[in-house]
Amino acid sequence: MDLVRYTLRRVFLSVFVVVGVTFLVFVVAQVVPSDPAALYAGPRPTAEQIAKARVTLDLDAPLPQRFVRFATAMGTGDFGVSYKSRRLISQDLRVYLPATLELASFSTFLALLLGIPAGVIAAARRGSWLDRLGSLGSILSVAMPTFFFAMLLQLVFSQWLGILPLAGRLSQQMSISDPLPFLTGFNLIDAVTAGRPAVFLDALAHLILPALTLAAYPAGIAMRLTRAAMIEILAGRHIVAARALGLSAPRILFGHALPNAVGPALTVIGLSFAYALTGAVLVEIIFAWPGLGRYVSEAILSKDFPVIAAATLVVTLCYVMMNLVIDLTQTLVDPRVALT
Amino acid sequence: MNRRDILKSAALSALAASVPLAIPRWSMALAQDGSPIFTLAHPAGFPDLDPATSFSNDGAVLANVYEGLTRYIPDKDDAPATLAPVLATGWETSADGLTWTFKLREGVKFHDGTDLTAEAVKGSIERTIQIAGGAAFIWSPVTAITAPDPTTVVFTLSSPQPLDVIAASGFAAWIISPAAMDKDNAWFNAGNDAGSGPFKIDRYEPGQRAILTRVADYWGGAPEGAFDTAVFEIVEDAVLDQNMIEGGQADWTYGLAYENLDALKANADLNVVVNPSFETLFGMYNTKKAPLDRPKVRQALSLAFPYDDVVSAGTSGLGSRAKGVIPSGIWGHDPDAPVPNTDLEAAKALLAEEGLTDSNLELVMTYATSDTLEATAGELWKANLAQLGINLILQPMAWEAQWELAKSDPAAAQDIFVMYWWPTYVTPYDYLFNLFHSEEAPAYNLGYYSNPDYDKLIDDAAALSGTDRTKAEAMFKEAQRMVIADNAAVFILDKPNIHIMRADVKGYQDNPAYGHVVFVNELSR
Repeated sequence: MDLVRYTLRRVFLSVFVVVGVTFLVFVVAQVVPSDPAALYAGPRPTAEQIAKARVTLDLDAPLPQRFVRFATAMGTGDFGVSYKSRRLISQDLRVYLPATLELASFSTFLALLLGIPAGVIAAARRGSWLDRLGSLGSILSVAMPTFFFAMLLQLVFSQWLGILPLAGRLSQQMSISDPLPFLTGFNLIDAVTAGRPAVFLDALAHLILPALTLAAYPAGIAMRLTRAAMIEILAGRHIVAARALGLSAPRILFGHALPNAVGPALTVIGLSFAYALTGAVLVEIIFAWPGLGRYVSEAILSKDFPVIAAATLVVTLCYVMMNLVIDLTQTLVDPRVALT
Repeated sequence: MNRRDILKSAALSALAASVPLAIPRWSMALAQDGSPIFTLAHPAGFPDLDPATSFSNDGAVLANVYEGLTRYIPDKDDAPATLAPVLATGWETSADGLTWTFKLREGVKFHDGTDLTAEAVKGSIERTIQIAGGAAFIWSPVTAITAPDPTTVVFTLSSPQPLDVIAASGFAAWIISPAAMDKDNAWFNAGNDAGSGPFKIDRYEPGQRAILTRVADYWGGAPEGAFDTAVFEIVEDAVLDQNMIEGGQADWTYGLAYENLDALKANADLNVVVNPSFETLFGMYNTKKAPLDRPKVRQALSLAFPYDDVVSAGTSGLGSRAKGVIPSGIWGHDPDAPVPNTDLEAAKALLAEEGLTDSNLELVMTYATSDTLEATAGELWKANLAQLGINLILQPMAWEAQWELAKSDPAAAQDIFVMYWWPTYVTPYDYLFNLFHSEEAPAYNLGYYSNPDYDKLIDDAAALSGTDRTKAEAMFKEAQRMVIADNAAVFILDKPNIHIMRADVKGYQDNPAYGHVVFVNELSR
């Protein structure tokens, strides 16, 4: 019951966050020196084209009226058209958002899979060569700039070993010979529903390097946090009691110690997921990944305000939801975390 | 079997399963060995595939899918520039240059099977004019289009203009199937097409790639060994573009760093093709703001500009010194134009004459953020000007912001506006009108130059360019010399077009009238 009330309250509060963000985006767009009409009219517009665009976009209407119209449009998911390309933003988001979500989810999965067990093992074998290796690895993965790590991975796995693709989401032959029908936009899911194992493997192979690049930072931090928390907890009396009861080492580590230690690491990984939605521009450019980050960064450079607004709103929603999921997960993993 | 054993065996079987998965050789050269696929690694995306409004890199795709009435063929060796017939086989203009009649090619079919007719031409251009986006302004002289019979289209103009050249534009001049006249922007951008060209859009994955396949029975035919498929891979990262062309995953690319070109030239698998482009770099002086409102001060700045250093440092010597604003390869280019050469002593003397010796003058030059060539030009100029006691402040800005500042109040705007220009359709008037014709509200004349004699000269020349091109050309050259004499701008360099392709690709001809467009139908392997 507590859980339901807690969730409802958080969802209710999130509405204010979203409305606030919508308002801020609108205000910023008014303050930034730029002429939307000129942008909408094309790369080299004439004065008549700009004047016509002003009318089309209704830019001369009073501010409050425009805000209401803007907020209504955002609320109904009708994001309008991009000033720069005149394409429907919802049409674009259908393509770019799943691409980014797929990458971010997979990299979060990798970060969990690599960072937390590594932290546990390092804590259990404290001071051993495994621990030192883990520490070195985590420091490197946190300290190495994304673009450098990405290029290193491309060099080793693609250029030298030739076992993983250089870039893109699906290989060219696949797109030509065996095109995947667009369903959800998540290639892995679409491949499964279409019953195409070859496409699934192709999509998976394309995911590994960019996801690994994105996962490096949160995995490194998660490893450090887990290790530190585990060391503290492993010295606790309940662990001594568990040992005395003769429980196996893995059971003690993963069953009794980890749930108490994993909180901070989960938070970091969860936030890095939200960050990856738009913060992964570099990774997306280097791996030619057609994602939200690239889409938005292009929009920002050209001050394509409707695209920026739509993407900000979508990311805000994802962020708010992710935060909620993390908090709920933490209460499930560690019941001591109170629902307040 | 306990839980640990289950986990262990699961992990082992997963490992075992992954080994025989016949991992594809990803670095395999897709593009080699007689492959019928031509892959272009494009450093920019395709924002708009609607042939009426497209006015960007999307032209690279559309030029293979759609056709216009004519095509501009640049001068080569001693052969002068001409217009090649495409969907039109012949055309003529009335003596006053106000009526243009085009005869259409017979037997041309659109990809949807409908025939090319005069109504289709009329409808396409009217659709473009009516939507009025992108480069639709090229048709502004057109007052009426009629189709007296299925193979004849007649255009009536409000003023004499070279409509045959306008019809060759790489933007807003595509002819589409009558069946698509009522389709909207979203339909085209979903990857549908309505062209008559050698390729049709088979699949479009936004942000990733466009796949074009050859249509059967294209009227223009194809060379032996021509490509069946053209794939435009959108790869914004120049390092990745280079990786792909070197590894054979791409057949053609551009936009690689100049300093890497020597290594690419040494690679026997690659062909580095350097051609002139119609893109020229210049800086417009603010003629409405002190001290650059004085022609002699402007002249001194132009004399202090390090032309040769910018060509060598900025383009590895591949660009060419600009002779005015009209680049070579385009009619109206003036190879003997009296442009100033770098001469710091003369510049110093001129400044002294104007009372500006060691004046600690501060001048602001705006240019596009992330444009390394413009930045290099600015840095080198700044060094020279420092010797004359002038502090050049380099101000990189996003294009929209740079333009916005320049359009506001000339008295508060930049001192020098650095930008590139290329023509929407191939005429010197495009450069001379947009950049230096008097404007009531600034649009592209961002040095605010105003000279009624000049205005009249180019307007008259433009009116003649449909009927007497030789005379028009002489007038355009004279007008350009007026701008040079008035030192309205510093003419920096004509940008080279550098394309890198696999050595086994045959039949490549760069056409600067269509920037970075590859006509894939002309190629073979």
